[in-house]
Amino acid sequence: MMLLSLLLIPLAASGLIAIARRRALMELLHALAAMATLGTGAAIVTQVWNGAVLTAAGDLFRVDALSALMVTIITFLGAVAALYAVGYIRAELDDAHLSRVRLFFTLFHLFIFTMLVAVTTDNLGVMWIAVEGTTLATVFLVNLRQTRTSLEAAYKYLILSSVGIALAFIGTALVYYAGAAKAGEISVNWSALRAAAGLLNADVVRLAFVFIIVGYGTKAGLAPMHTWLPDAHSEAPAPISALMSGVLLNVGLYAMIRFKTVVDAAVGPEFAARLLIGLGLFSVLVAAVFLVRQRNYKRMLAYSSVEHIGIICLGLGFGGYWGVLGALLHMVNHALSKSLLFILSGNILLKYHSAEISDVRGLLRASPWTGGLFLAGMFALIGLPPFAPFISEFIIFRAGLESHPWATAAGVILLVVVFGGMLASVNQMLYGEPANHPRGDALRGWLAPLAANFALLLMLGLTLPSPFVAALEQAMKVLGG
Amino acid sequence: MSAEVLAKVVNLLSFVALGLTILLIVRTSLVGQVRVFALQSFVLASLSVLIAVYSSSLELFGVGIALVAIKGVVIPRVLNRAVAKIGLQRVAAPYLGTAPALIICGLLTIVAFYVMTPIAASNPLPTADAIPLAFAGVLIGFFIMVNRRRAVTQILGFLMLENGIFLLALLATYGVPFIVEMGVFLDVLVAVLIMEVFVYHIKDNFDSIDVGELGKLKE
Repeated sequence: MMLLSLLLIPLAASGLIAIARRRALMELLHALAAMATLGTGAAIVTQVWNGAVLTAAGDLFRVDALSALMVTIITFLGAVAALYAVGYIRAELDDAHLSRVRLFFTLFHLFIFTMLVAVTTDNLGVMWIAVEGTTLATVFLVNLRQTRTSLEAAYKYLILSSVGIALAFIGTALVYYAGAAKAGEISVNWSALRAAAGLLNADVVRLAFVFIIVGYGTKAGLAPMHTWLPDAHSEAPAPISALMSGVLLNVGLYAMIRFKTVVDAAVGPEFAARLLIGLGLFSVLVAAVFLVRQRNYKRMLAYSSVEHIGIICLGLGFGGYWGVLGALLHMVNHALSKSLLFILSGNILLKYHSAEISDVRGLLRASPWTGGLFLAGMFALIGLPPFAPFISEFIIFRAGLESHPWATAAGVILLVVVFGGMLASVNQMLYGEPANHPRGDALRGWLAPLAANFALLLMLGLTLPSPFVAALEQAMKVLGG
Repeated sequence: MSAEVLAKVVNLLSFVALGLTILLIVRTSLVGQVRVFALQSFVLASLSVLIAVYSSSLELFGVGIALVAIKGVVIPRVLNRAVAKIGLQRVAAPYLGTAPALIICGLLTIVAFYVMTPIAASNPLPTADAIPLAFAGVLIGFFIMVNRRRAVTQILGFLMLENGIFLLALLATYGVPFIVEMGVFLDVLVAVLIMEVFVYHIKDNFDSIDVGELGKLKE
């Protein structure tokens, strides 16, 4: 029951906002829905982490510890972005653009809804439908500003994601065929396939996983299928960029992980590991190339997402207790730091009206709060202690050192390149003489929710609380680790 | 109906479906291309009804009906409306001309047979022989998307690719479960409606629907 309400709240909110007439009402519904989703999500996650596996609507929905981790990320960062979005949209779109305001809030909750369906369903076909739904829900959000560049970004995003994910459907159908041919009973449920994995035809499963990794890898932003990502993430309004980079990429990864568990059980872990390490390393490489001397700070954050998704894939590929733990932990840490930075990039954009790094000068003097938080967030993102990404990256590469020393060495070298490139770009933005803008932060009060991100980044960086590690370990059991 | 007869008819219809995908490359009028797509959807729908009768599956029958309704009627109408509104009848020059494009189609078909024949051989269903033909349709649909500049033709390439995937799933497993198939149709329909809106936006902003003009976002 609770599980169904988690899905119905954002769906109902979306419908109600679509017919709301006054802006205040839309904002109220929007904020209430985000808080209610967060509360319901927390209640569900608590139950699951206490050992329960929730199901609803027959065997259509099933939440285990891995799903619960995703529900936590989606509902928590969804709430943070939702609160900031109220202020951001007020600044971006005045009452003359009320229809676009309505479109934004409607699609915002539809977006949350599709992501929640994707991570709570047990049916791999429904998961596919929901992941394609995330593209359809966000494409107008990418084009919210309705400029030539946002139009181009949205069109590319729609076409490339739709084609990519069409390939994932071939993979899903092949896995379904491998299951149906052996187990007899027609079922495309993950739990049934996982149970029958030992019986599946290994050739079919291998071929299927190649389609899966290319298909869902497109949604996750793995290179070389990432080409839509920098455009879409930099053109979308800041709260949506925050969710697309911080949360939606993880949903793509989650879909890959679900299939990986079946593949590992069917053909052994080596096959998937090799693919993940190869693509992961290539993603970090591509990101490093574009992060050195990047001219646009939103694109810089977007390419950094490609890098971090690559690191997570490396962790999954390295495997073992520490590799997988590091990967799951890094999913959380990247989500926390990247959504934070994209929200702050919205503040910078409102202040300077340009996404070019060369147009942003003296951020620390012009907007001390935004600038200070941006710097701290950037430290977290590039993996400096005491912030949490340092811990998870350390764990991942420590795991790789034993099993895959060459890949680890290459990864660490690329990380150093990224480190230098991003720090140089941020340096240009923070210092110098600000142009004749009035001093002060845009939307200072609306930054308050980011305190939660920072608190978590610090807490996870300084101490790994044992209940949290226990929760991650439960998710690792789902992965078969 | 015996399994042998079914296999023969399925092979024939899958071959016709692949032929229609290739025909899309040759046709130069947008209206003609839309008609090719609609025809292919009807062929696929008759295939699913045929297999539904053979395997006495009511669900698959429903899938066939939905396929005709959505991909045979509604989507072609949407596309024709878009073509009429933007007042463009001819497709723009593709990156590759017809002759090289056809050679590539041949190569892609060989690739499809190379990849899918082992998979098809392990499949006990009488429809399995045609699996490589379906996969060739997927690859060629993909190629059409890459090769064509006009947004409308890109959408048609996407739809052909979708049809290929539908055929692949149909042949390999007698179709994925009903709820999944319906969800996929819905996604495709919404995607096409959104793409239609974008075609208008591109037309308004760039004064053409040549997606080659979309080149502002560079490093």
